[in-house]
Amino acid sequence: MKLTIINGSPRNKKSNSKILIEKFLEGYGKIESSNIEIHYLANIHKMDEHAKAFAQADTVLLIFPLYTDCMPGIVKEFIEAIAANKYGNKKRFGFIVQSGFPESIHSVYVEKYLEKLSLRMQCEYIGTVIKGGVEGIQIMPNYMTSKLFTNFTNLGEHFAKTGCFNEEIVEKLRTPYKMSKANLFGFKLMSKTGLTNFYWNSNLKKHNAFENRFAAPYK
Amino acid sequence: MKITILNGDLNPTTNSFSRKVEAYVEELRKSNRVDLFTLAQMDLHYCTGCWSCWWKTPGECAINDDAEIIFRSVINSDLVIFASPLIAGFPSSALKKIMDRLIVLLHPYIEIVNGECHHRKRYEKYPNLGLILEKEPDTDDEDIKLVKDIFDRLAINFHSKLVFVKMIDEVTKLDFVIMEEVRNDEKI
Ligand SMILES: Cc1cc2nc3c(=O)[nH]c(=O)nc-3n(C[C@H](O)[C@H](O)[C@H](O)COP(=O)(O)O)c2cc1C
Repeated sequence: MKLTIINGSPRNKKSNSKILIEKFLEGYGKIESSNIEIHYLANIHKMDEHAKAFAQADTVLLIFPLYTDCMPGIVKEFIEAIAANKYGNKKRFGFIVQSGFPESIHSVYVEKYLEKLSLRMQCEYIGTVIKGGVEGIQIMPNYMTSKLFTNFTNLGEHFAKTGCFNEEIVEKLRTPYKMSKANLFGFKLMSKTGLTNFYWNSNLKKHNAFENRFAAPYK
Repeated sequence: MKITILNGDLNPTTNSFSRKVEAYVEELRKSNRVDLFTLAQMDLHYCTGCWSCWWKTPGECAINDDAEIIFRSVINSDLVIFASPLIAGFPSSALKKIMDRLIVLLHPYIEIVNGECHHRKRYEKYPNLGLILEKEPDTDDEDIKLVKDIFDRLAINFHSKLVFVKMIDEVTKLDFVIMEEVRNDEKI
């Protein structure tokens, strides 16, 4: 199977999306290592090329970070470039939506849109993988990311074998849907001790901006 | 009332959608202060996800383009109207571009609302949101619902409320109905 991957992160090659795709391809590569193409939408001046790559592809996976409970603007521009055509049900289209917040409820609305979009374009809809809590992965220690990475590697291997997303892994990745009582309690505890905002505070301090963190310059 | 209208029409010089938005703005100006931004005619860049606005220069975007006047207008408005023809079942990339950039108006700190994480306010007050669309030939009720749901979510993120969704052809006729709805909404 020829696989075309479209990375829709504005962060280009420094993106969390790229890391997740690498893990996915580690598993995929165990079964099949040729015929993989990766395109980065952050190169927006190449939108025609990206659209052409889509037109020529058999199986396409589009990965993007959730931006305001939806796709980033550059991904919308890409969708506009490809959606003018109908693909006669010969193309297979799947999605990976990853986000900062841990709960999948933020991503299920754009998921519905993506399914409808595939239908509108006459593509076979493969499904949507949703994974929250991804923002910190580039600074997390290994023990925090290893489960996530293993899941993505297994997802990739299964995909190479079957052309589908493994339902069990998809289910695991999209949990929790909302913050449960238990993790709400954990979160409250953490926010009391300042831990949840640790990521923001340490970066604010690193840039000498901590004192100014409540600035409201456009009022 | 102070109103900001963000017109995401990708072809504002040729599309009738933009003529209708302009006519609507004329009406609104009779009794409101209105800023109309025709996004395709402005110098606006995509958010790069750099987080400068959250941890380098809090509250300020690192990109030097026309977005700053939009940020000022939006945060000082009572109502922000997102206007765009649907393209592939969703408002245009020009509109989504500015929606992404509005994250500059929030604060990075996280709080829990209804069992969901959201970002804290940076400003005391946020405007109500309205949505004006134009259907494509194949648009059905489900499409409108999908878009409405996503803008309802945007409103939650934005400490705000989506107070109406209208098609552009209804809007010119129903101008005052809309304003009444918004006013009634404010009373609640
Ligand atoms: C403008 C902007 C908007 C975002 N909106 C959301 C959001 O609505 N919900 C969420 O959970 N994360 C949101 N995020 C966080 C990203 O989805 C998250 O950081 C993601 O892991 C970034 O992936 P990338 O490095 O591949 O771009 C937003 C980030 C940016 C820059």
